[in-house]
Amino acid sequence: MAWAKDGHEAAFRELVRRYERPIFSLIYRMVRDRALAEDLAQETFVKVLNGIKTYRPEFKFSSWIFKIANNVAIDQLRRRSLETLSLDGSPHATTAEERAATELQLGSGGETPLDEVQNRELGTAIERAIARLRPSYRACIMLRHVEGHSYEEIAQILDLPLGTVKTYIHRARNELREYLEDRRE
Amino acid sequence: MRPQPAQHLTSEEIELWAQGLLGAARAMHLADCSLCLAEGERERKLVLTLAQLPRFAPAGGFTDRVMARVRIPTPSGEFHS
Repeated sequence: MAWAKDGHEAAFRELVRRYERPIFSLIYRMVRDRALAEDLAQETFVKVLNGIKTYRPEFKFSSWIFKIANNVAIDQLRRRSLETLSLDGSPHATTAEERAATELQLGSGGETPLDEVQNRELGTAIERAIARLRPSYRACIMLRHVEGHSYEEIAQILDLPLGTVKTYIHRARNELREYLEDRRE
Repeated sequence: MRPQPAQHLTSEEIELWAQGLLGAARAMHLADCSLCLAEGERERKLVLTLAQLPRFAPAGGFTDRVMARVRIPTPSGEFHS
């Protein structure tokens, strides 16, 4: 990190190499659009590397970079209202027509190769269950169970009180279990 | 002292148990309580499923695309891209 703070290109590249998968995966699961996730992941790294001098070493570097990635993803969700989209249509839809209109189509005709990759990657039961979670729950679950962050780190990353993080994770796991168990019945 | 069956595990303890991190004293409760055991097993299954989620990779050339937009300070304190 000290080497990166001094602006060494090789250190920058190493940081990107080390974090590109976890950061891209978090953003991809948040926005559920591969091309958009790539743009947002790029934006995250550009912000991190151009702002590396502002990094405060008393925080874990991974917490700092995940905080920036989450903020970038949430900003995008707010701008595009993507949080209203799920595989099963908008939760705000009041009629079947509205729901169908906002439904993401899997395996429909006219798919690009990128669509096919995306459907294969995010089409499993657990990915669909994660997609149904509200964004704040989704971020908590990914940070906890995929990235292995502690509750305290997640609270720092998401700027939430520790108790809220615990509640979100508990509720998110309940929702995931219910969705997965409903599908088995 | 061994906890009584009525002292059910909290949700945090269930999570810890599912990850193999709950202390033995509290874990003993599961031997006597089918409710907590069932809850723990459901939790363990979910935690395992989540832990097996893949990390996706961005398309090739990602680092180069990032580096093309990054300002790298030179020894004189100026920046170059």
